[in-house]
Amino acid sequence: MHKTVAMLFAAIVFAAPTLSHAGITLHAAGSTTVLPVVSTAANIWHQQHPHVNITVSGGGSGVGIASMIQGTADIGMASREIDAQEAAKLNGKVDVFTIAKDAVAVVVSKAVYVGGVHQLSLQQIAAIYRGKIKNWREVGGPDAQIFVIDKEASRGTRHVFAEAVLGDAHARAPGAAVISGSNNEEQSLVAHSDSAIGMLSNAWLNDAVRGVAVGQGNAAVLPDIQHVRDGSYPISRSLHVMLAKKGASEARDFVAFLLSPAGQKIVKQSGYLPVR
Amino acid sequence: MLNLWMRASVLIALLAVLLMLGFLFAQSWPYWRAYGVGMLFSGEWYPYERLFGMLPAIIGSFWAALIALVIAVPSAIAAAVLSTELMPGAWRGLLRTGMELLAGIPSVVYGLIGLWVLLPFLQSTLNLLTGHNLLAAGLLLSLMILPTIMVMAQDALHEVQISQREAGLNLGMDWHTRLWRILLPQAWPGIRSGILLALGRALGETMAVMLVVGSMDRIPQPFYNLLVPAQTLTARIGREIGEASFGSMHFSALMACGLLLAMATISISLLANRKHV
Repeated sequence: MHKTVAMLFAAIVFAAPTLSHAGITLHAAGSTTVLPVVSTAANIWHQQHPHVNITVSGGGSGVGIASMIQGTADIGMASREIDAQEAAKLNGKVDVFTIAKDAVAVVVSKAVYVGGVHQLSLQQIAAIYRGKIKNWREVGGPDAQIFVIDKEASRGTRHVFAEAVLGDAHARAPGAAVISGSNNEEQSLVAHSDSAIGMLSNAWLNDAVRGVAVGQGNAAVLPDIQHVRDGSYPISRSLHVMLAKKGASEARDFVAFLLSPAGQKIVKQSGYLPVR
Repeated sequence: MLNLWMRASVLIALLAVLLMLGFLFAQSWPYWRAYGVGMLFSGEWYPYERLFGMLPAIIGSFWAALIALVIAVPSAIAAAVLSTELMPGAWRGLLRTGMELLAGIPSVVYGLIGLWVLLPFLQSTLNLLTGHNLLAAGLLLSLMILPTIMVMAQDALHEVQISQREAGLNLGMDWHTRLWRILLPQAWPGIRSGILLALGRALGETMAVMLVVGSMDRIPQPFYNLLVPAQTLTARIGREIGEASFGSMHFSALMACGLLLAMATISISLLANRKHV
């Protein structure tokens, strides 16, 4: 018995260094908007380079940037620009690469869309999030109380949306009824309601979660790739990955892959606008 | 040798508790110094405006745990009485195994079940804008703490001496009298430990609550309105700790939430360990 335990112990002790030589594990964290691109690319990259493992986790752009500040991830993902405070903390330690562009769509439940709300002006959206407009009837929709979904403050989508609609990235939204986190959570909340409004990257739209055109009258613009490309959609943004300047060379190679034609193809397949 | 080992373990356990409390206290100190204990009674939590009021989350944690107890305690005790006293042996084992299984399910699974089943149900039956609220959190928690209370209550009922039961029978007491006068009073210390242990879990549960409570840092209006999205201390930490950079005031305020929870849980455990009321 003792012998077995000793042997097992020895096996672990001697095997551990060999295991760690077998490959390198990189960790990517942050925006759940950037996540699908990075995780698909990570799978393909791993097939081509079996010694590199890339684990990918979400948390939001704020988490991605914080993990670069604290050095807890090799690759940070962000769906918004780094703000002044964060830049001061990063102190030039990271390189930022823009890998894609997308639109932050203003989404509504299918019932609302079918009920007549096909477009909203920025003022109307702001009034809804400020709690001034409470019923869909006031904006040409069905007679139903508006279920306003806000996002965690750390989320890049929230940042970009609030800046464009409410005028400040961290503005309060007193009209909000609930706070959601990842894109998946937001998508499922909107899909399960028949009176919801929320904010989501254009790649998350589907039959139950409809994006409305933003703007007034005939000038309203749909949140799709075409209008991100020509710059006419008012709430569009760049998607970034970040690398520590002193980080592993394998991480740098992976980011180069994201920017290569093969990587940009993944961007396109994920529903975003490629940058190259 | 064994003696030494045991002493060392006790010491390590004690040290771990003290270290944890010390860490929480040290990390939350900047917050307490800058804002003072008065923040416990402030309702405004807007980290980007440097407002860190604790009250919405404290109220939320309190209600969620209370609802869980109100539902779980009577049901768990009733189930324990039923299974130890009235059911045939084979069923008893089955029920206990079921309860132990229930206790072993990861909390995120409870959370997802809540998200997919409980929230739509609450939303449609109560005709609410959303099912995310304290009632949902409390219902989910009651399911999660039920096994703890029931298993502890079963054990406590088992401990009631045969002689006591026989004395009751010999005195011609009927079943109700025996239950209320002999079984439950005798088993009470064990049941009470189970309840307090479960309360600790209810207060500390994060994942499941975070998914169903709505994470809205707002005091319910009126404060006993359990049908609007709210916040608990744990869900707040879970949602925000990732972005709060280490050493910032936001981080410190979240550690203060952690300290409050730790102190609540520790006082509960101390209560649980007192032998007599």
